[in-house]
Amino acid sequence: MKETVLSAGIDIGTSTTQLVFSKISLENMASMMSVPRIQIVDKEVVYRSDIHFTPLVSKIEIDARAVRTIVEQEYAKAGVTPDQVQTGAVIITGETARKQNASEVLSMLSGLAGEFVVATAGPSLEGIIAGKGANAQQESKKRGATIANLDIGGGTTNIAVFNNGEVIDTACLDIGGRLIRFSGDNSKVAYCSDKMGCLTRSMGLDADEGTPISHGAIEAISQRMAGILEEVVGVVPATGELATMVTDKDLKRDYAIDYITFSGGVADCITTNCDGNDFEFNDLGRFLGRAIAKSRIFTEKQVLESAETIRATVVGAGSHTTDISGSTVTFNDDALPVQNVPILKLSEEDEAKPLETWGRTIAEKVEWFRLKEEHQTPALAFKGFDDISFEGIQLLASAIIQGMASVMNDKVPLIVVVECDLAKVLGQTLKAQLDFKKDVICIDTVKVENGDYIDIGQGLAGGKVVPVIVKTLLFGY
Amino acid sequence: MISEDKIKNIIAEVLGSMATGDQASPSQASPAAEACEELCDLTAVDLKKELQVPEPANREAYLKMKATTPARIGIWRAGPRPLTRSLLRFRADHAVAQDAVFSNVSDEFVESMGMFQITSCCKDKDHFLTRPDLGRKIDDETIATLKEKCKQSPRVQVYIADGLSSTAIETNAKDAYSSILQGLKGHGIETGTPFFLKYGRVPAMDVISEVLTPEVTVLLIGERPGLATGESMSCYMAYKASTTMPEANRTVISNIHKGGTPAVEAGAHIADIVKTMLEQKASGLDLKL
Amino acid sequence: MRLKTKLFGTLYEFKDLNEVMAKANEEKSGDQLAGVAATSVTEMIAAKEVLSEITLKDLRNNPAVPYEIDEVTRIIQDQVNERIYREIQNWTVAEFREWILSHSTTSKDIARISRGLTSEMVAAVAKVMSNMDLIYAAKKIRVTAHCNTTIGEAGTLGFRLQPNHTTDDIDGIRISLFEGLSYGIGDAVIGLNPVNDTVDSVSNVLKMFQEIKETHNIPTQNCVLAHVKTQMDAVKNGAPSDMIFQSIAGSEKGNTAFGLDGAIMAEAQDLMLREGTSTGPNVIYFETGQGSELSSEAHHGVDQVTMEARCYGFAKKYNPFLVNTVVGFIGPEYLYDSKQVTRAGLEDHFMGKLTGVPMGVDACYTNHMKTDQNDIENLAVLLGAAGCTYFMGIPQGDDIMLNYQCTGYHDASSLRELLGLTPVKEFADWLETMGIYENGRLSARAGDASLFIK
Repeated sequence: MKETVLSAGIDIGTSTTQLVFSKISLENMASMMSVPRIQIVDKEVVYRSDIHFTPLVSKIEIDARAVRTIVEQEYAKAGVTPDQVQTGAVIITGETARKQNASEVLSMLSGLAGEFVVATAGPSLEGIIAGKGANAQQESKKRGATIANLDIGGGTTNIAVFNNGEVIDTACLDIGGRLIRFSGDNSKVAYCSDKMGCLTRSMGLDADEGTPISHGAIEAISQRMAGILEEVVGVVPATGELATMVTDKDLKRDYAIDYITFSGGVADCITTNCDGNDFEFNDLGRFLGRAIAKSRIFTEKQVLESAETIRATVVGAGSHTTDISGSTVTFNDDALPVQNVPILKLSEEDEAKPLETWGRTIAEKVEWFRLKEEHQTPALAFKGFDDISFEGIQLLASAIIQGMASVMNDKVPLIVVVECDLAKVLGQTLKAQLDFKKDVICIDTVKVENGDYIDIGQGLAGGKVVPVIVKTLLFGY
Repeated sequence: MISEDKIKNIIAEVLGSMATGDQASPSQASPAAEACEELCDLTAVDLKKELQVPEPANREAYLKMKATTPARIGIWRAGPRPLTRSLLRFRADHAVAQDAVFSNVSDEFVESMGMFQITSCCKDKDHFLTRPDLGRKIDDETIATLKEKCKQSPRVQVYIADGLSSTAIETNAKDAYSSILQGLKGHGIETGTPFFLKYGRVPAMDVISEVLTPEVTVLLIGERPGLATGESMSCYMAYKASTTMPEANRTVISNIHKGGTPAVEAGAHIADIVKTMLEQKASGLDLKL
Repeated sequence: MRLKTKLFGTLYEFKDLNEVMAKANEEKSGDQLAGVAATSVTEMIAAKEVLSEITLKDLRNNPAVPYEIDEVTRIIQDQVNERIYREIQNWTVAEFREWILSHSTTSKDIARISRGLTSEMVAAVAKVMSNMDLIYAAKKIRVTAHCNTTIGEAGTLGFRLQPNHTTDDIDGIRISLFEGLSYGIGDAVIGLNPVNDTVDSVSNVLKMFQEIKETHNIPTQNCVLAHVKTQMDAVKNGAPSDMIFQSIAGSEKGNTAFGLDGAIMAEAQDLMLREGTSTGPNVIYFETGQGSELSSEAHHGVDQVTMEARCYGFAKKYNPFLVNTVVGFIGPEYLYDSKQVTRAGLEDHFMGKLTGVPMGVDACYTNHMKTDQNDIENLAVLLGAAGCTYFMGIPQGDDIMLNYQCTGYHDASSLRELLGLTPVKEFADWLETMGIYENGRLSARAGDASLFIK
């Protein structure tokens, strides 16, 4: 009964580029006597690539062709061809995502990444994916606790906070192991990011390019960076510098964090003894790791070992981005896959109103997606009802058709995403009311929010379920 | 793609409206107790969300894990015994489960479904409960009635029987039946004349199938109630059912109720299964779903 | 062999021993459904009178189902100790009853005689006993067994933790399990009735049980009550199981309907002794219940009490750690109301003990029977007084997966307090260590499942 799906995860970060292949196992967990309930029962990383330095042609430009070559070589080493890959994610993370040619890189890879692989970025999502890869999400569920995962890479620290398995907060800071790099003999600064420049100046230190720098100064800077992390998780009061180092948003810090996990390249120097050449990579990564290990995070909080460190993001991308729909849904494979469909979700208040009013509410909200330059056809999402009559379903379908009228002629299928288990009957009803003239994709048991984008792939498990990737781009706003 | 700013505005707006919504809803900590001042319905409390343990070591995780099961946990105690509320709730749930078994599907309900009624060889409920063999049979007179009133050899014959829960039928049969018909119609599959069988057990469908000779027989029948699921209905289906076919030829969908698979959704699923049965000319273990 | 008698001047005549045995039963709807019940109470008493004068030898020589056609009969007959049997073969059923009840007969005496009995003798003596006879006699007999801990010691009352879930949701099972532990349940076994009878599903649950057992150092045994073959496959694939479970019947045909025979059980026992995670030597768990043979048309015209006794005779062969009768599970067509369930529970427990198996009872009922929770509480107290080895423990007695009700988490500590009993020794010590028990009863923090979530 088990069916496995091959998923690819590709992470192109500021410093490293990695790839994993994961096997995701699906199984019908319902008894023979019930409506099927296909679930993801296992996720196993079956191939881990070498860790490559991300090829850059200049400080701000990724060498897209070289990235492609790396990925092609890893496919060959793994013995995987692009057509075998059914799902997964390419993620351009950290500073790299802000580099000018990120989208060029993604399009360069798209042919390599199978039919149904997303390309996405954004610090909140990165943090969440890394937290899942590091196992912080699962641990928080198992322990019934709040766990913050700090993914510390070359350019950024992405933080995701999980409570009982659910994301409750995210943050991104410009704290990373390669934000200051040194000359060949490590006597001078070869590169210093703008924000690190601000931070060092606040300490009265000069770290401009070409400036000579002492061992002591490097340690002092690393300690201050660790201090910023102490501030962000709330073990010491926040200072003005924390605000400076925040990339997009800070943590709310209005809840208690029970445990901390670390992932990312720097994490290896926190939890394990990084002896050997401190300057192996001509950066302050190892100094930063040691400074964190000595910080008050370790004395004030319980730090848990994470399942992955430097590979957390790529494992998260490969194993933890794909979900599946409920097992009684409506779709036809011809209309799939669909990608990057924005979500229009009704609020709880909207849903509390009588079904007769839904048509107007939906119509108003659809207009939000039709105002600017290019048209967007959103997928309609709502929670739905556990207990709805056949008449109720008829009313609901009419309201949806009425509300979505302005996009009904778009050359894309009508997509409806509900949380409650009613997508098969609703889909059948929508099709019937539309005289079977329009493609309808109606899926359930998927939770989305406004601001999310959704990808839906072709049917799996004998056409009972579809794979779904929900991209939360704006978490926390 | 629409701009981030635009989406931010939408989110802000939606979150704003949700916040107001939150305030209006009753607080989670004291369900029902405060919400209804005079007539409080003990059975309206969602047990999955109620935690009676006064000072749990980890309230949040307890509630979260409780939500994954309908089992009666987190109900605390008086000495070693359950609290009065839990005791009474249990008895109320048992009472309604017994009512589901021992009451009959009303004539009004059968009429509202536009169906006629036949009865198995059982004389009354007690007879039905202690003589499962007779609940599987219909007499010659009833066979004659079926022949007279029903379309012969339809592609699909749908009928309803009370089985062990009349409540399950009165709660779910209408929605499931309508949903099945819509689904079958969508597939272009015609159905026969529906009816209701009183004091019916599952194998009666074999006898009925031999009388009416449909390709596929679909039976909606009340399940033996549990405390949490007094309303649970099952659907039994078979391709060319007969009294000599093996049990393994039956396809079953159980647990149809609002806490399991909702009736409307189950109906849509059943319609798709029937279509597959007609295509494969098989049911039960022989059917590849 | 005398097969007739007179009561109040009326002659009652029976055609064979099976008819006497059937008609001597207290009223059961299942015997009526099978068409073997007495047609009046006086006929029942007449049958009891006839039965009371039958010798154990006649019962040995007239097994309910012939030796030649039935494996269960062969297993029962072949494990009789002939020397002991010869000592008692001329006892009548009446004499046997009075010997058991006599003050001078000890638990050890009964344990010895037990080896010379067949299941028909066990059933016959139960049929001529009153309810209090069954309680008093059973109380005398102690049967212990060891898997990881020892069950059945005097002064103890075990509970099986039954954390069933409608969809085998691992979190849902886990929280019910934690809650049970927090009420002092789980010393007999932590055992799940799975929805999905698949090797993967069974293995997943077993691994979760093992992990919890290890994390919290719980001295007990685990089991997932799938079909024996599924469990064996899981164990062969490395799943950590302490015991193997199977439902059994009192005839070969009934066992065939359950998909097993003696050879499969022997193989299961052997596998567990080699690959199981428990200490042993008792590594098998059986469940039974009056009426299951009739429901699979495998009763050979024999009454349900006799068929039930034969289950225990079969079970004994495999040195089980646990045997229990799921007494009110099968429905009103076999046990109609609380009176019939009560009687059956007392009969089964006594018959199991007399056979020499560590007998527990799932004191339960379905919602289409004329019983309620009060009846099951009564039965639990009666069985507690009878020295029942263990009961089931389910969140407030409501099994959400099997859709029936039985004894709940709260009943464990209540019964132990009422009857002056403790959990299985090692488990009781563990409860004290965990702070769930204090001075032999529930502590202030007992009943909080979140004690186990950190």
